[in-house]
Amino acid sequence: MHSVMEIESLGKKVLSAASTWLFHDLNAIISEPAMIGILGKSGQGKSTLLRILGRLLPPDSGTIRLNKKEMTQWDSCAWRMKVSYVAQQAIMLPGTVEDNLRTVSVLHQRPFDQKLARALCEQLHLEQVDWSKSAEQLSGGEKQRLALIRTLLLQPDVLLLDEVTASLDTASKQAAQQLLVDLHTRTGTTILWVTHDLEEARSSCQRIWFMADHQLQADLPSHSFFQSPPTIQARDFLQSAHAHAAREVHS
Amino acid sequence: MTYTSVWIAFAFVLIALLLSLWQRIGLEKEIAIGAVRCTLQLLAIGYVLQFVFHTDSLLFILLMIAMMIAVASWNAASKGKKLRGIFWRIALSLAMTELLTMGLLVALGLVSPTPQYLIPMSGMIIGSSMIVCSLFLSHMNREVETSRGEIETLLCLGATTRQAVQAVRKRAVKASMIPTFDTMKTMGLVQLPGTMTGMIIAGASPIEAVRYQILIMLSFSSATAVSAVLISTLSYRLWFTRDAMLHP
Repeated sequence: MHSVMEIESLGKKVLSAASTWLFHDLNAIISEPAMIGILGKSGQGKSTLLRILGRLLPPDSGTIRLNKKEMTQWDSCAWRMKVSYVAQQAIMLPGTVEDNLRTVSVLHQRPFDQKLARALCEQLHLEQVDWSKSAEQLSGGEKQRLALIRTLLLQPDVLLLDEVTASLDTASKQAAQQLLVDLHTRTGTTILWVTHDLEEARSSCQRIWFMADHQLQADLPSHSFFQSPPTIQARDFLQSAHAHAAREVHS
Repeated sequence: MTYTSVWIAFAFVLIALLLSLWQRIGLEKEIAIGAVRCTLQLLAIGYVLQFVFHTDSLLFILLMIAMMIAVASWNAASKGKKLRGIFWRIALSLAMTELLTMGLLVALGLVSPTPQYLIPMSGMIIGSSMIVCSLFLSHMNREVETSRGEIETLLCLGATTRQAVQAVRKRAVKASMIPTFDTMKTMGLVQLPGTMTGMIIAGASPIEAVRYQILIMLSFSSATAVSAVLISTLSYRLWFTRDAMLHP
């Protein structure tokens, strides 16, 4: 069977020299393109996992394979063009909005797909943004959406999203969610999405990875995870997340 | 000047020591070590230079220059202790800068190829290039730290390490070159440089001294640019792991 990505016995220590594991013995197979929500309390290593998969951090143990080929056998640039990470904190590159949008075409000497860039901006409600404006002048939410579009123009096979909708208002969040679902359906892009928004994970993702106790405790279809959480930690996590959401609505 | 005069000059050190004691600055040890080291090193180099000038041997000239490059590289490398192999990269940058600058000065007939000219001028070129290398390493360390997000964003978009660090590298090169050109702008108005002052004290005419100083300052401009570009080109990869990740 063809698989997109295989993760075998992956581990990362809190500090390279320390003996405490942030997580260890993490095994998972993404057998077909999917949208996967990664859930868990803060400090379980969700972002670190994405950064390892995006080849920004080295693992302390284990192997990762993309299209049956080990990460170490891939050229790092080729890997990152296939598996691209979008950080929670959107970083704007020096220059204008257009400079940021053109980054991928400049780096890889490809023609700039202006039509696609415009369409993505429109989908994420950025059609009013002046492309000649300095990217640093954008609001936090606009920066986050621009950072996402910048990566989408790379057209990676696997997209690693680290709470990319956390700083967005409700309308922009829904637009981003819709865009990602459409992208996955249309192009078969695999999306690994760290989020604290359960509704977002439930409505967009087909599978859920749940991280707790330094391990990947669950890798289940989304409906199974939410209907019958497999562990006490998962049940507690969902309960406290629901309670938190209810408090927010109430306040 | 006699050795007696040199001994008398130690009165200046005594003034510094007494001030440090009186004001409880706590620098007596540094002042004493500095004064003794400076005197011994200069005396030693004086005798070495006298020997080299007398023998007029190319081998000794090359040895002197190699020693200067080694000491300068060791000194500049202290700014990049975490960077493996930085010493050799600095040494190569300094050697290439020296070769190009001195080579041009000799080839254009601007200085005669005798130890009397080659050694002091090489010292000045290597010394100023060493400062440029040190400044580059300091700026680069700071720039990489403050621009981690920018570099990693570019890596995530499939950039090579060279592409990812290009803007950061450019800023560090620029910052390491600015002091040389700032010094050139105020030369003669704020500072009277060492060569010129030394020549005037030694009895040369001020105009001749100034001509030499101009020659030296102009050759510094190319040495600065060459050493900054070389060290940045040879060393930028050291901020990354073999796997093209930024070092933690």
